Amino acid sequence: MNDKKYTKRNQSNSNSDMVNLVNNLDQKTDLKYNRRAFLKTAAGASVALGVATLPLSVRTLVGAFEDDSDHVEIVKLSELPKGSSVKFNYPTEEDSALLVHTKSGELKAYNNACTHLMCPVFYEEKEEVLLCPCHKGYFDLNNGQPIAGPPQRELPLIEVEVINGVVYAVDRKYRHG
Amino acid sequence: MGKKICWIIIFITLAMNVVMLQFTVHSYLGRESNQVYVYSGVAVISGMSTVITYLIWRKKEYNENA
Repeated sequence: MNDKKYTKRNQSNSNSDMVNLVNNLDQKTDLKYNRRAFLKTAAGASVALGVATLPLSVRTLVGAFEDDSDHVEIVKLSELPKGSSVKFNYPTEEDSALLVHTKSGELKAYNNACTHLMCPVFYEEKEEVLLCPCHKGYFDLNNGQPIAGPPQRELPLIEVEVINGVVYAVDRKYRHG
Repeated sequence: MGKKICWIIIFITLAMNVVMLQFTVHSYLGRESNQVYVYSGVAVISGMSTVITYLIWRKKEYNENA
């Protein structure tokens, strides 16, 4: 069999029986999507995922999230009756927060950007919960944990102190009970 | 180390890195810096293991068929 005949026999739409043995193969695809390419892609994906964690470490290392823990005056307690709330900013002017004086007389403060899509969270006095109206996200007023809706993480807790009848924000915790 | 072992190691490291990335993001959002470093370190070591394993696999694979 000469080369010319061999080539012709293996062309598409040939009447040769032999072509039926190979015409289900697309050589380009076969070379592109094969076992080796699959493993190379898996190895590349693994390395890419590993490297993707580095920016987070670098940002943490350079202290992008250093909190100010100085006392910041929020409001006079006498001006905040039970069952009401007041907005303030802590630790920076960009961080909106909410101080709630509960019906039982406790003071609860959280950063009020919803942990789902950063919509502002409000105090729902009737049911004593924190509500994100954007997607109906609910947070427990007592601990800031999500109780319903899309949010998965708790609201950052702001620790408060009452000194001489004035409520101060003193610290912030991201992970808390 | 056989080629099958290389495949297994690469897929284990891939799965591990998926989990480590998720843990790292979660710790980062929770401002738990120590855990960010730990998870990120594990992910980088895992990624390096993948590269080494891949090189070993490649050597075996292509030498055999040369």
